[in-house]
Amino acid sequence: VNSFSELTRLTDAELPFEIPALRVTPTHQQIFMFSAVTWNRHHIHYSKDAARAEGHRDVVAQRALIGNYLARVLTEWMASEGTIERLAWKVIRSAFPGGELTCGGRVVAASSSADGVTLFECELAIENTEGEVVAQGSARVRATGSPS
Amino acid sequence: MEMILDRGDIPAEALARIGLEQVRTYEVTAREIRRFAQAVGETNPIHQDEEYAASTPEGGLVAPALFTQVFTYDDIDPALLPADGSPKELDVPLPTDRAVGGGSEYEIFAPVRAGDVLTVSRKLKDVYSKNGKSGQLFFVVVETEFRTEAGAPVARETATYIKRG
Repeated sequence: VNSFSELTRLTDAELPFEIPALRVTPTHQQIFMFSAVTWNRHHIHYSKDAARAEGHRDVVAQRALIGNYLARVLTEWMASEGTIERLAWKVIRSAFPGGELTCGGRVVAASSSADGVTLFECELAIENTEGEVVAQGSARVRATGSPS
Repeated sequence: MEMILDRGDIPAEALARIGLEQVRTYEVTAREIRRFAQAVGETNPIHQDEEYAASTPEGGLVAPALFTQVFTYDDIDPALLPADGSPKELDVPLPTDRAVGGGSEYEIFAPVRAGDVLTVSRKLKDVYSKNGKSGQLFFVVVETEFRTEAGAPVARETATYIKRG
């Protein structure tokens, strides 16, 4: 099973199915851009001194940005063949510029919606290079099929 | 160790804010969709390339899944923000001085496109504290609903912010 569309034919016995992992490394530029586009002026996201005074080793990747890494795991896996219906996550430990994150997950359940579309329940997680959990999440995605 | 949920030590002025709703209206622009896609690292041209997007069944730029995050915080003058620059929306009177994490749940009902006009309704849903092994933590729950001009649901976020003294 390689593509998301083939996955819609998976049976329960073949679950859980591992979703391809995404590796991302937050940068100072990305954290800056995300604060700018969301108008988040909290100083721990742009001032290393302020972040250190609060016990962080550098500026901190935003909780909301971390959620987008999980969204990207799902969208890169589904390509244009599915949409996210629900995405929840919690940040367990801060992420910093330069630290690579491995973002991944697995499909733990599949079902059909009332209109016959396949829905997948997914568990998601992000780990840093030390193998520590940075975030945990869950999602429900909807297989909409290939665009015509 | 079992965490104890408590509202007994939440100041009355914090509890009084629960349920207060603030409503704002914003127009979604192609430029903002592009900037958001670049900020989160979404490289699919459906979010950035208007010519390409127009040639797809979508017919135009579509925002990334969590795009409504751009409307989470308001255009508040910096002089009115808390001293640490943290969002005014979280300026709930609590005996805390730092944010230590939290989480979000997004329910996504419809795609967002350039030109959409969204109504954003935000309210403080709950404030409570827990005593854990690392001391007392305060939880601030904020619910934000995004709707079209016609009132159709677009997304709902339930965000939980954790603060400590």
